[in-house]
Amino acid sequence: MTQPAVVFEEVSKFYGEVLGVNHVTLNIPPGITSLVGPNGSGKTTLMNLMTGLLFPDHGSILMRGVSPRDPEALMRMTGYATQYDTAPRWATGFTFITTGLLLFGYGRSEAEERAWKALERLSLTDAANRKVAAYSKGMRQRVRLAQAIAHDPDLLVLDEPLNGLDPLVRAETIALFRTWAAEGKHVIISSHVLQEVDVVSDQVVLIANGMIVAEGRIRTVRDEIQEHPSQYIVRCRNRDASGVAALLFGEPHVTEIKLNDDRMGMLVMTRDREQFARALGRIALDGHRIESVVPADENVDALYEYLIGGESR
Amino acid sequence: MKPGSPIRGRAAQAWTIATIELRRVFFAKRSLWVYALALLPSVIFFGHGLDAKLRMDRLARGGQTTPALMDSIREGETAEDVKTRVGKPAREFSGTHVRRVRQRTGKAGTTTHVIEPAVAARFVRLNINRPSYNGEPVARIYEFEVYGPDGRVNLALRRPATGTTPCSQDEGPEKAVNGSVAGGQADKWCARGFPLFLQVDLGAVGPVARFVVKHASAGGENEDSDTRDFNIQLSTDGKTFTTVASSVGAGFVDERTEYREMTYFDGRRVARLYFGDGKLQGKNINRPLDFEEDRTIFAGIFQYFYLRLAIFFGCLGIFMYLFRGEMTNRTLHFWFLAPARREVLLAGKYAAGLMASAAIFGGGALLTLAAMLWPHDAIEVQAFWNAGGMGHVFWYATAAVLGCVGYGSVFLAVGLYVRNPIIPAAVLLAWEGASGIFPPVLQKMSILYYLQSLCPVPAPIDNDVPAVIRLLAAPAAPASRPGAILGLLVLTAFVLWIAALAVRRMQISYGAET
Repeated sequence: MTQPAVVFEEVSKFYGEVLGVNHVTLNIPPGITSLVGPNGSGKTTLMNLMTGLLFPDHGSILMRGVSPRDPEALMRMTGYATQYDTAPRWATGFTFITTGLLLFGYGRSEAEERAWKALERLSLTDAANRKVAAYSKGMRQRVRLAQAIAHDPDLLVLDEPLNGLDPLVRAETIALFRTWAAEGKHVIISSHVLQEVDVVSDQVVLIANGMIVAEGRIRTVRDEIQEHPSQYIVRCRNRDASGVAALLFGEPHVTEIKLNDDRMGMLVMTRDREQFARALGRIALDGHRIESVVPADENVDALYEYLIGGESR
Repeated sequence: MKPGSPIRGRAAQAWTIATIELRRVFFAKRSLWVYALALLPSVIFFGHGLDAKLRMDRLARGGQTTPALMDSIREGETAEDVKTRVGKPAREFSGTHVRRVRQRTGKAGTTTHVIEPAVAARFVRLNINRPSYNGEPVARIYEFEVYGPDGRVNLALRRPATGTTPCSQDEGPEKAVNGSVAGGQADKWCARGFPLFLQVDLGAVGPVARFVVKHASAGGENEDSDTRDFNIQLSTDGKTFTTVASSVGAGFVDERTEYREMTYFDGRRVARLYFGDGKLQGKNINRPLDFEEDRTIFAGIFQYFYLRLAIFFGCLGIFMYLFRGEMTNRTLHFWFLAPARREVLLAGKYAAGLMASAAIFGGGALLTLAAMLWPHDAIEVQAFWNAGGMGHVFWYATAAVLGCVGYGSVFLAVGLYVRNPIIPAAVLLAWEGASGIFPPVLQKMSILYYLQSLCPVPAPIDNDVPAVIRLLAAPAAPASRPGAILGLLVLTAFVLWIAALAVRRMQISYGAET
């Protein structure tokens, strides 16, 4: 039996004269797939095409055998967490998700139960009865994620899902992705920072200027990236940066640390992202309050050049 | 989890969407002016009823007469006679009208001005400040005569005269001193432009005691062209002039008329009696609350205000916002990501708009009708119910609801195709307004065409209204009510089908996408 796949065949989309994506051909198997590219490269366009918010000018799309022009069938098995940072004015976190579920045909009690479960998974139960419009950016990000997963879809399309999540929720979310992938679901996430997603992805699709520049199993590209040192900005609470820095400096993969003047943040250079992530986990468990970890290598274009150049060499 | 049949499932989805949207439509801030439009006529009717009731209360407190006595009052009776026979009026006024009128003298158009004692002068000047009574800026002097103390010889006769540039060559200043007024309308000095003046050189310094000015009507023209405001100046050297006579205040007198006004009230009708010179000159009977009149006014308000403006603009506000507003607020994707066909979404949103607008405008129309009925006599209201009043209520409500059905579908579709509502709204308003002069086929493409035939009372229109306006105001209606309802529903279904085409193709574009 063939696996259900997300298939793009020669898909192009223009916004008037402006190109969205061009001649995209993809065949994405189940598992975690990351769409990675700089801002404006066409990631959101691809995701909107997958979910029928946009229709292609050329080419065809099948999502696990269903056309995006059939929202009734497609959205029953799909959850899409968009980047649109808006929710209907009337919605509280709870009603926002419950209302969506009612449209799936669930009874009210089941819809409410599922909504509550989804909010629990994203640690949003405390804010469940507040208006979404009053949420912080990170909470809105999480409520969209909760809505996307509330009906237990087989196909998850998540636009920058890790943006704005604190490290704890981020780790939990990634664990969720892994669980779903293991169940044979599609988890398609986007990011403009390769380092953010490569550790979790089974597959990456690199996109730039509306075109696919690289696609494949993550291990085939990871080794190449491995040689490329990465930088992270780590911010701590309680002016604890020097304590955290002292611990990090003991790690063999950390090559350089620059402390900020405010003694809350630092820039860390590492040769091994996985080791770095584990080290941070240990430090956090020791009781150090780490507020956020953000990859500083935002210049993805440089990384692409590095990758594409590596292929052509 | 999945409902039994897809049709039932879709209907349930549409209903879910409708209930969610209904809240938004009812409680949105922009709905406030829709409510205001819907409630305005009822407030006006209520105000009218309250005013009439208070007035009648006030009159009744002043005293009431019987209808028969009120009808017996005839013109020519004196106020005292009427009072003796009919009794004390509910209200009474008397007073004096003072009016400033032009003095009518036997010698129209000729004014004489005497100065005493006589003044020595060689130059006489007539300055004109307001050349006519009718406002025309043209001075017309047929003759200007100057006499000495003996009063026999006209010193100005055929003397050299100068003045403001004349109206034409043969109406020069010399015509005012030629000794004649009977030579037709050209036998005058005529001038326009300021300053207006006529000056005569008497030849030598001598005593001057009297002036005679013959104005327009002395020469046979209209009295209103006579000179209204002027003065006469004298001089010995032609340089320094002294004013010796003036017309100001001369032409007008106060005309006083005694009048009396009495008002009688018989419980329903108010009779206003006007007495001038002690006798009844005018009698005006009306009813503060006239059921037939109010019913016609209601019919007019319903058709001209409700159907054409309130429901039209109310539906514009409600239905255009259903999709366009969510695009602006960037919330439309929420619906597009639901597992529902786009047509189901359209149906749900339309149902929400329809329920809200039908409740607002159907309710508003019924409230207006209630406000119209409220102040009237119980007997008259009962007669209204007995004569098919319930049918009226039903058809007014039906017309209001069907108006929402029709205009709602149109504005829902327009909102899907067009970004800015102002231009399509203006075009539609013109189309609906002008449909009466269209050929029959095009008439059937207007919502108003169907709605008008549902109204139980024809809209009032004066007989002297030009035919084109009458066509615009009241297009020919289809033959029967079932035909009108069916026609409207078919038109609505067609418009909704066009809207469905658009919503199926609709894509999310909130602005910059990446």
